[in-house]
Amino acid sequence: MATRVITIIGFALVILSFFVLHFLGRRQDSRIPTVGELFGYLMRPRVGRFLVLLGWLWLGWHYFAR
Amino acid sequence: MAPGPSGPGHAAGQDLAGESGPVSSPGQPCRADGTPPTDQVTGFTQGAGGPRHRWGRLSPRRRRLVGKAALACILVSYSWIAAASAPFSMRALVTVLIPGAVIGALAYAWPPRRIPPPEHLDVAGFSYWAICIAALFEWEAAAFKDNSRWWHPSLTDLVNPLISPHPVRTAAFLIWLLVGWGLVRR
Repeated sequence: MATRVITIIGFALVILSFFVLHFLGRRQDSRIPTVGELFGYLMRPRVGRFLVLLGWLWLGWHYFAR
Repeated sequence: MAPGPSGPGHAAGQDLAGESGPVSSPGQPCRADGTPPTDQVTGFTQGAGGPRHRWGRLSPRRRRLVGKAALACILVSYSWIAAASAPFSMRALVTVLIPGAVIGALAYAWPPRRIPPPEHLDVAGFSYWAICIAALFEWEAAAFKDNSRWWHPSLTDLVNPLISPHPVRTAAFLIWLLVGWGLVRR
């Protein structure tokens, strides 16, 4: 039981850290990029754009089609 | 020879009240306030140049609002239908592939106006993200390595029961669609 709880807490902390980073990035003059800036930067090259959209499609398939 | 439409009695601006049926010529009758009459059955306005629907009389702002509301209805309906699909079914696969194809076509052929990406990212700022993403993958990989047992479940095993109720699954699908649109604009 304890191991399962630790696993869930681990996932929760990591996902929480994404939100924290995003909101820290929204502050003025922040060095941390927001989620949008991060993906915008990754999607600048055509191959990055393709891979990110492929990842989005995979997520949809993974959670909704199977 | 009988007078034609351009002959006497059909000059522009002439009051045609009393003639039967809607007339869409420049010489049609107007209301007291000057606006063209509207057909009560069809909702068409008998303006100059032909019948005009009420849609054409909406302000651009209202038109955008109506358009957005219609699009939201379509997306919610689609998400509701997609969320009702049984896992591992052809229908579930198709309901995911259709938005994928639409988003792919938009990204490739008809890209919308994109939000300008940053020229560069701060290395330290980016490293925070990299650490968190690496931690997520490590945690997931650890669960995957242990065959996703009950005592060390993978993220999928934790998320799937959460999104199994139909309304929640609909909301999750809708969020997925909106994320796809957000990515295309990046």
